Amino acid sequence: MEQRVNKAAGNSYVIEVENLVKRYDDLTAVNGISFNVRRGEVFGLLGPNGAGKTTTVEILEGMRKADSGTAFIDGIDVGRQPKRVKSIIGVQLQSAQFFDHLKLTEIVSLFGTLYGKKVDANDLLERVNLEEKAGSYYAPLSGGQKQRLSIAVALVNDPVVLFLDEPTTGLDPQARRHMWQLIKSIQDEGTTVVLTTHYMEEAEELCDRVAVMDSGSIIRMDTPDTLVEELLATGFTHDRQPKLANLEDVFISLTGRSLRDE
Amino acid sequence: MSHYWPLTVISMKMYFRNRQGIFWALFFPFLIMIIFGLLDFGGFNAPDIGIDDRAGNSASKSLIEKLQGSGDDPILVISRGIESTLLAELDDGDLDAVFVIPEGFAQPGRRSTVRVTTDARKPQASGVAVVVLSDSLENLFQEMATVPDEFLIGSRFDIDQATIEGQDQGFKGFLVPGIAAMAIMQGGIFGVVFTLVRFRAQGVLRRLFATPISPAHFLVGQVITRLTISVLQAYILLAVGALVLGVSIGGSPAAWLSMTLLAVLGGALFISLGLAISGMAKTEDVAAPVSNVIALPMMFLSGVFFPVDSLPDTVARVTQYLPLTYLADGMRAAALEGAGVTSLGPEFLGLALWTALMFIVATRTFRWE
Ligand SMILES: Nc1ncnc2c1ncn2[C@@H]1O[C@H](COP(=O)(O)OP(=O)(O)OP(=O)(O)O)[C@@H](O)[C@H]1O
Ligand SMILES: [Mg+2]
Repeated sequence: MEQRVNKAAGNSYVIEVENLVKRYDDLTAVNGISFNVRRGEVFGLLGPNGAGKTTTVEILEGMRKADSGTAFIDGIDVGRQPKRVKSIIGVQLQSAQFFDHLKLTEIVSLFGTLYGKKVDANDLLERVNLEEKAGSYYAPLSGGQKQRLSIAVALVNDPVVLFLDEPTTGLDPQARRHMWQLIKSIQDEGTTVVLTTHYMEEAEELCDRVAVMDSGSIIRMDTPDTLVEELLATGFTHDRQPKLANLEDVFISLTGRSLRDE
Repeated sequence: MSHYWPLTVISMKMYFRNRQGIFWALFFPFLIMIIFGLLDFGGFNAPDIGIDDRAGNSASKSLIEKLQGSGDDPILVISRGIESTLLAELDDGDLDAVFVIPEGFAQPGRRSTVRVTTDARKPQASGVAVVVLSDSLENLFQEMATVPDEFLIGSRFDIDQATIEGQDQGFKGFLVPGIAAMAIMQGGIFGVVFTLVRFRAQGVLRRLFATPISPAHFLVGQVITRLTISVLQAYILLAVGALVLGVSIGGSPAAWLSMTLLAVLGGALFISLGLAISGMAKTEDVAAPVSNVIALPMMFLSGVFFPVDSLPDTVARVTQYLPLTYLADGMRAAALEGAGVTSLGPEFLGLALWTALMFIVATRTFRWE
């Protein structure tokens, strides 16, 4: 695929961040973090509420200005050329909605034109399994459908990097699994994904590498596997031996795997 | 450039799909217009009468005194002049009736015929004027007669009444263009403030900010939509004024061109003002009250419901420069007198200056979040 060649071009790091700092009055939300993201990987940002995940992601998206430090996306300096960066990335914001009085196809096409692209709205909606809702308005969509729409919209410009800020928060187990499938399929097409999440199971399932943030700093960064092995090497054990299935497995086996919000 | 059009089409679609929003935007000014128009607040004033006193004798003086009444509030407000100028004033709408007192009025042995001209557009005021006149004449002749004689008195004076179709359209005529101007203000300020507040609260604006477009791309679409609405709204309200309240509007194409341009410029002004408010208001909760604090006083100080010169002098000196005053005055001149664009220089200049100022503030204060 031609597009795949394109996305794989150049430097092997598609995101390069160095010493990024962001302060709000006397609060340091991001405190000198550095990391690189490889082309084609799914990179996870983990950390408790207020750790600075959204702030970090929004600096990379060109939506906030860092106080110091640099960030490059595909070789473009985000601080200097935010618009150029915006035009090659896809963005799903933590809590942003779309226009109430528009149909889904209209929303997708509109965003296409904002990037100067003619898009096949139905095609994109089909990719996120919203083809049946193509002609309905945004307002009555369920939470899961809204999340999927925002991913369809984030894909309109065939982005080099896709930023997803808590894409599965508030979704039921079926919808969450469905979202995982979607993210994997996006990765399969060669798109790099930066993801924040509070669900460790999700990070384990999706992320090639994760960075764990706390109070604005990255305290640890590696593959989920390595991090788990390291912990076990310290002699860590659960108080209670975990069973081979948990309540989520029960839930899925009771209610099935299919999406419910159709 | 290519980004402007899709956002404009989209914002039009969104607006016209919001039926309830459209209904209320039109309904409020419509309601005010009908209520005030039917109550006809303008009709409660003492009628203005012009008198040409050709007799100049003691009887005519005493007649005029009677017409004015003795209390603090005159029954009729009298001004003196010669018939031809008074009739011109009647035609302009400055007077409600003209009385001509004949030479040799009330001299013995002569019949005295007072000629009365009234404005057919002002039946109320004319009616009052004629009743007061005939009462006063009857009183006068009764006092003068040595022997009260009903038959004799009746035969000694006459009222010869004629009517003209004056230019003045009364309070309704004043009201209708004023309400159209008010609706443009309300639609501009509140439409923009509420839309932006909602978009900002929903994060729609932040989502747009994540794309490579600039604020201008988004704002231009909003402004074009609002301007279209502003012009449509003005047309509809003027039409309602004409059809329901019987005010005759415009007439010439030049007048309609003036009204359209006024609606566009006025729309641009108040849209910019709305943008400025929504940009400056720190939180969503402040935006609505701030809009009210700005719009409400203007509604009453800018000559929408009553003329600016009926305000105290010091107040009027300031309020004549309010943006809504320019818009209401311009609309009124175009709608009632058929004023063309060239004769509305001061109004257009005032509106243009305000628009430029507000536009600068709006672009400086615009925020995505
Ligand atoms: N615009 C802002 N003004 C002031 N402080 C802010 C602003 N945005 C974020 N913060 C603060 O910066 C810190 C980091 O916030 P951030 O949203 O990046 O956290 P997060 O890791 O995304 O949290 P969550 O998991 O809850 O989404 C928090 O303490 C937050 O209150
Ligand atoms: Mg966050």
